[in-house]
Amino acid sequence: MSIIYQAKSIRTMNPHLPHATHIAVRDGHILAVGTKDDMDGWQAAWGPLELNTDFATRSLLPGFIEGHSHMMEGMFWDYHYVGFYDREGPDGTVWPGLKSIDEVVAKLKEIQANRKDKDAPLLAWGFDPIYFTDRRMNDADLDSVSTDCAVIVLHASLHILNANNFVMEAADVKGADNSEFIRRDENGKPTGEFLGQLGFYMAMRTTGINLLAIASSPETLVNFANVARQTGVTTATDLVNPMPEGSEKPMRETIDADDFPMRLVVAFQGNSKEPDEAVARMQELQESNSDKLRFSLIKMVADGSIQGFSARLKWPHYYNGAENGLWYIEPERLGEYLKAYTKAGMQVHVHTNGDECTEVALDKIEEALRAHPWPDHRHTLQHCQMATRAHFKRMKSLGVGVNLFSNHLYYWGDAHINITMGPERAARLDDAGGALAEGVPLAIHSDAPVTALAPLFTAWCAVNRRSSGGVTLGNGTQNISVEEALYAITMGAAYSLKMENEVGSLETGKRADIAILAEDPIDVGAEGLKDISVIGTMLGGIVHLNQGRD
Amino acid sequence: MPTLRKIPLTIISGFLGSGKTSLLNHLLTQADGRRITAMVNDFGALNIDAELIAEKHGNQIALTNGCVCCSIGDDLMRTFIEVMQQDPLPEHIIIEASGVAEPTRIAGFASVDPQMRLDGIVTLVDASAHHLHSKDPHLADNYAKQIAAAHLLVISKTDLADAETLATLRDELRAAYPQVPLAETMHGHMPIDAVLGLNADAPHDLPSGPPSGPMDHNFVQWAGHLSPVPRHEVIKRLETLRPHVLRAKGILTDCDGAYVIHYAAGRVEIEPFDGDASGHFVLIGTPALPDNEALAQLF
Ligand SMILES: [Zn+2]
Repeated sequence: MSIIYQAKSIRTMNPHLPHATHIAVRDGHILAVGTKDDMDGWQAAWGPLELNTDFATRSLLPGFIEGHSHMMEGMFWDYHYVGFYDREGPDGTVWPGLKSIDEVVAKLKEIQANRKDKDAPLLAWGFDPIYFTDRRMNDADLDSVSTDCAVIVLHASLHILNANNFVMEAADVKGADNSEFIRRDENGKPTGEFLGQLGFYMAMRTTGINLLAIASSPETLVNFANVARQTGVTTATDLVNPMPEGSEKPMRETIDADDFPMRLVVAFQGNSKEPDEAVARMQELQESNSDKLRFSLIKMVADGSIQGFSARLKWPHYYNGAENGLWYIEPERLGEYLKAYTKAGMQVHVHTNGDECTEVALDKIEEALRAHPWPDHRHTLQHCQMATRAHFKRMKSLGVGVNLFSNHLYYWGDAHINITMGPERAARLDDAGGALAEGVPLAIHSDAPVTALAPLFTAWCAVNRRSSGGVTLGNGTQNISVEEALYAITMGAAYSLKMENEVGSLETGKRADIAILAEDPIDVGAEGLKDISVIGTMLGGIVHLNQGRD
Repeated sequence: MPTLRKIPLTIISGFLGSGKTSLLNHLLTQADGRRITAMVNDFGALNIDAELIAEKHGNQIALTNGCVCCSIGDDLMRTFIEVMQQDPLPEHIIIEASGVAEPTRIAGFASVDPQMRLDGIVTLVDASAHHLHSKDPHLADNYAKQIAAAHLLVISKTDLADAETLATLRDELRAAYPQVPLAETMHGHMPIDAVLGLNADAPHDLPSGPPSGPMDHNFVQWAGHLSPVPRHEVIKRLETLRPHVLRAKGILTDCDGAYVIHYAAGRVEIEPFDGDASGHFVLIGTPALPDNEALAQLF
């Protein structure tokens, strides 16, 4: 059966036919794109095409591709969202944003008062202190919710959490070990704020909640897909997964179900095993590839985050004088892994945040390519937030692509100007304009759940480069156009995943993966991009509508 | 019976190739009944004899001597969770940190775990490559932090450096960290008691009379019998021996009752002891410790 969908406008991302009004879909693929008349020509050989006008007032784009997200995005929805902005859950429920610490605490009290099991751990997430500059949340805030059960608030960055004294007593937080990852008041008393993985570890050890098991459960995967789908995404990534023995089977069962509304590309955690074993495991995983599930990437993490002061920066390091960040792997080991994967023909995505790390990653990629030449390796630097034009030139010569963390411009742009990088270097933060000018293949991402998953918002960030404080980063050369940003969240990301022949544009023969929007983003323009309502998606010809959108 | 005891965590840190695996290997062969769990980066590098492997599943290998090795696989938190689910729990946990790890970060896990305590950070300094590591364009700062975090510094691969290099390195480390004990090793050979403490978590097993004198050419041991003595007084005396004492342990009494004292390079842990204190007291240190007579005098 073939259906012609009529739309107000179709932006195809195909340079030969950028704009159309009709698209014919058959057997999960695109039969034809063009005008109504163009469709009619197919009927002689392919039989009658049924016209569907459900989206006649809508705008269609290739389904969006989130090239750097984590399925962990789906894991928190059984808990309580306390973020600053309204956020839509996988079932379409809108959780209202909370605009002060007091509002967060009041919300938690309300939850505690209304729930049946008052002794169970109370877990909330999405708290974002960058909007509350007057003070930090502390143990007294959470003790006021309850002193008889664990009360834990995860921050949006996932790098920090707050806990009440019930948790700290259960963990027997030791005063003697003067860990810099436990925030203390002027008297040396812990304030309930824990940095890095410590907080997660403590939460698991004291509440018995196994966040690791939840993170990889089928429910989490389904929640993740539904959150992504609501933003127009048809292909997303789980950009680092250790894939323990046997975990691929349940994953594939979940994803291959017809009602699972998304394709997923999983990046295998590159250093979870020694190089030889890792290559073998990846080959084994690839036997489970399907139309909707792909094991096609290796992820290596080389440094930390800029806002967490754990990224590796070149001299003079951090603007505020903080000491330089951390390597997450020995550069020498990174080099060994890159060689092994390059030799095996496996594409590697390397997480690099600071510019020192970007440079070392490029050195190691170059060494690997000299040892094992591979013209279309398409190794990609992920985040790569501080790359200079010189780095982009080198990436171009080496055939390395980039996936920039454009949402940072909004969420941490002010912090980068004032605290981490200083104004000059912050001007080039996530320099999409520079990457394109130097000819580097470009994608842009959210790193969900670190920031909200919404490719139109990510595009808005790359186009406008405006921080949450209202400051514009850079002098205009770093901005990209609306068309370029839309390309980055479709074909750009598809290219970074080596899926550009299947998805990313609307043209004959490709998969019928479509984002259905209330308005045409090119007509709406730069300012309104992020506010365009997503009506639904089509995945392999199957329509998934969002509730209550118009 | 003693109350719930915390599992001591020892972190072995040092540059890639500084001999962490050799040291760990050597410690495991001396376990002698201690149930040690070792968290390592790479089983392969450990080179465990096939006949010593009792059982292997997932990322854990159980050895016939009661020890367990866990591969970290770049996920420290997950590995800690798995280790703390072992039944029975280990008596001692050793982590072989990656060459770029900040040991103080790892130590943080012990700070928030009700069943764990930090025993100490041991940092290896490769005598043959210190001049390169300390000037590495990307890792020098990290290297310096590992050394600064140490409760015990060990110069490794002493056989691969000439006498002059070794002497300079010793002087450099002593000048920079006068309070931190400094030991030396070749091929990772170190007495387990010097690194992990004297059978750290079985106070009643404290040997009644270990021989005083050299353990091997790098370490000495002294044992004595102490009459009732206030705990702060013992700490005070130990402090006068820094940096030459690596470990001390005693089962002693004072007016508040019997207690066990563990001393590890300046870190003191005191816990009440149920039962009659024997007064046994054992010290392990570098050859620079005062002689037996002087020690007997001091205590
Ligand atoms: Zn990420």
